[in-house]
Amino acid sequence: MTVNDLLHQFVVEARDCLESISQRLLALEKAPHDQELLNDLFRSVHTLKGNCGLFEFPSLERVVHAGEDLLDQVRHGRMTYHAEMGDVLLEAMDFTADMVDLIERTGGVTSESQIPSERLATRLRAFLQANTKASQQAEVHQAEALPPATPPSWLASIPPDWCTEFPQSVAWRYEPEPECFFKGEDPWRLAGLAPGLKAITVRPLTPWPDLSELDCYRCNIEILGISDAPLAYLTEHFRYVPEQIAFHELHTGVAATTPSISEVNQPELSLPEVIRQRALQIWDEQRHILTQSDLAPGTAASIRHVFLQLLRATQAPQLAAAEASLQALGDSAGSEALHSWSALHHPAGGPEQAKSSTPSTAVLQFAADAAKTAPAPSSEENAHSRVLKVAQDKIDRLMDLIGEMVVAKNALPYLAQRAETVFVQRELAREIKAQYAVINRIAEDMQHAIMQVRMMPVGTVFQRFGRLVRDISKREGKEVQLLIEGEDTEADKNIIEALADPLIHIIRNSLDHGIETPDKRQQAGKPATGTIRVTARQESDRVIIEIHDDGAGIDARKVRHKAVERGLVHADKAEALSDSEAMQLIFLPGFSTAETVSDLSGRGVGMDVVRTAVERVNGDVQLHSQLGLGTTIRLSLPLSMAVTNVMIIDAGGCRFGVPMDLIVETVRVHQEDIHHFKQARTTVLRGRIVPLRALHELLELPGEASVNEEGEHAVLVVRMGAENMGLLVDHFHGATDIILKPLEGVLTGMTAFSGTALMGDGSVLMILNPKELMS
Amino acid sequence: MTIRYLKKYAALEDVVTVEEAESLWEWMCQQAHPAVNLSKCQHLHTAVLQVLLAARPKFVGEIGDSVLAMALGQAHADSAGHESMTKKGVTL
Repeated sequence: MTVNDLLHQFVVEARDCLESISQRLLALEKAPHDQELLNDLFRSVHTLKGNCGLFEFPSLERVVHAGEDLLDQVRHGRMTYHAEMGDVLLEAMDFTADMVDLIERTGGVTSESQIPSERLATRLRAFLQANTKASQQAEVHQAEALPPATPPSWLASIPPDWCTEFPQSVAWRYEPEPECFFKGEDPWRLAGLAPGLKAITVRPLTPWPDLSELDCYRCNIEILGISDAPLAYLTEHFRYVPEQIAFHELHTGVAATTPSISEVNQPELSLPEVIRQRALQIWDEQRHILTQSDLAPGTAASIRHVFLQLLRATQAPQLAAAEASLQALGDSAGSEALHSWSALHHPAGGPEQAKSSTPSTAVLQFAADAAKTAPAPSSEENAHSRVLKVAQDKIDRLMDLIGEMVVAKNALPYLAQRAETVFVQRELAREIKAQYAVINRIAEDMQHAIMQVRMMPVGTVFQRFGRLVRDISKREGKEVQLLIEGEDTEADKNIIEALADPLIHIIRNSLDHGIETPDKRQQAGKPATGTIRVTARQESDRVIIEIHDDGAGIDARKVRHKAVERGLVHADKAEALSDSEAMQLIFLPGFSTAETVSDLSGRGVGMDVVRTAVERVNGDVQLHSQLGLGTTIRLSLPLSMAVTNVMIIDAGGCRFGVPMDLIVETVRVHQEDIHHFKQARTTVLRGRIVPLRALHELLELPGEASVNEEGEHAVLVVRMGAENMGLLVDHFHGATDIILKPLEGVLTGMTAFSGTALMGDGSVLMILNPKELMS
Repeated sequence: MTIRYLKKYAALEDVVTVEEAESLWEWMCQQAHPAVNLSKCQHLHTAVLQVLLAARPKFVGEIGDSVLAMALGQAHADSAGHESMTKKGVTL
């Protein structure tokens, strides 16, 4: 694995962590005392910090570290979580997300990020300091009774002027072990790089001997230093030499020692007791291994060795007897023999020793707990290993390949046709068709399977809403409650991604224009807290997403007025529109009803962007609103857009494809049934007037729409929003599955076509975009 | 080699590694009045630093690394009677 791969992995994992962190932070606002949640949150931040530590991203690590320290205090109940803390934490998280993006783009962080990083870290640490001050004040009375903490003796060797010069800093003493040079350590370098180093001095531990007697490879120095970095950074910096380093905070006069892991977990236990517990735990783990079948002889032998060492470490009362019996078992002892021996000579007390040498109940409990919990994580790990993390581009590649496969497969029917007509091989043609049927089935299954892989729950987009609603409602002074339903509904990854921005826009609109301020709401007889409800569900092969708010609703009169004012529709036409039709005007480009431009919405790039984005993925938007009661926006999207079903038509000698989901019907209309009115042509189908346009005219193709022997036109009726429209073409051909490739390069601007597709016979089919073509 | 043993002094340059501590010590033992030049020294290993502290050589020129200058200045200030060419109590 190269560094680049590692970095990539880091980015992926960091994003995962950030996502869960943001969710937990928001959940925490509602339940600030949920211990489970706090632990989860801390774990996520801790993982993130650990990952950052793998790389040299100081500005990133600093912020995450500060966040971790803060959460650790909250987790242990030494501080209470409050909204301000949440604000800063969320801000820090945003910063981290930006950094991760930057790392992904450039592979590193720039020095520019240093300043915001330090500022954020300081703000986070401010909470910690405020807390220590508060607790110090609380303890003032107690402290008066107690003698002040005695400074460590080594402090005397630090020049006193340093202490006066840097009163707010941390003094430290680093005494490297004599053999450290042989371990590849360079204590001077470690000390010299200490964060926030202000002053440093080196002294011999024992007076220097005569130069000729000096052993230059035996370390005989101590390093004393003053740093103004927080104690946590120093502890982190010297984390590999915890027993050789001592800290003293000058301003508090508190000697700070690096807490060992055992102290954190079991603060009330003495060291021998900790060792004893650990030994018991290891003992039980070994016993657990012994119960497994198919144990290799080597494993049994090494377990026997472990037991022997444990016996000595715990200084079990019957040490000699137990050891002797273990020795008697010999190296070749089987796992069963060992298991029964270990039960008999358990250090916590065997079956009969339990009464005589009553160990403390806590220890027994601990051992039992250890035995119970030990297998649990392993099974959890197994569950995790079954989930495979795959980069998106790999799935996309698979998708492209299956697309090509579908196209290649479609060449077989042409081949069969050629075999029959050109080479007059009917037998062969039939065989090719039979093979085609098999390949077709497999390809379809494959396509379906890959499609399943690309399916993502829509909830991944919804997750961002919580944050959005929280931030905006706070800033706007509105009270808003967000309800999300059906976040498990799945749709294709591309659709979900295309949806993210329009949805955020809609929610912003609801927050900005929809939901009123609490007092306005109460005047209108509504609860002060507004509700935005986002629901997702699947309806046949489409995903329906509805965003409903119980806000002010849309005033059709205002919309009409605004649309006319902006010159988007003619005044007469605006008056003729029904209320619900008038509301659809907000989807026109350049429409905005907001009186002032806010940074949320109201720039006039709102709803038309939403509509364009949704239509780009073959979806559509509907809007319903009732004045005073609220607005509902309904998005309907296809489940997948990888393979498009098109109908092939013929006009002016060219072939075109029309997306099947837009086609209502194909009909033959007699020339005489077409009514001409000036330039416009219409016909009546099933009692409804359908406007007709000829594809030849729209695309400026040569000739006129042809008629067959019976004098009938071929009319393709397509859906245009709520209306139907007829398209005059020359001939209809069959339907086919194609992989739609968007137009690239100079062709991008041609909105009349939604893309191209490669046909089985190698030709290129242009796919029409009837909505753009006929509007 | 990042130590050049000249006629009047030893010049320690760039990063002086742990392997060179012994040769420096041997050289120091042979000199009646050892002197070193640390002006181009970016970092020296703790073992080398130890040799300098024990041998208390004379310093020729400024000490390039400010952290090192501070430590050596302090150490020499402690040992009275030995003249140090570095500024005392340098702060970063």
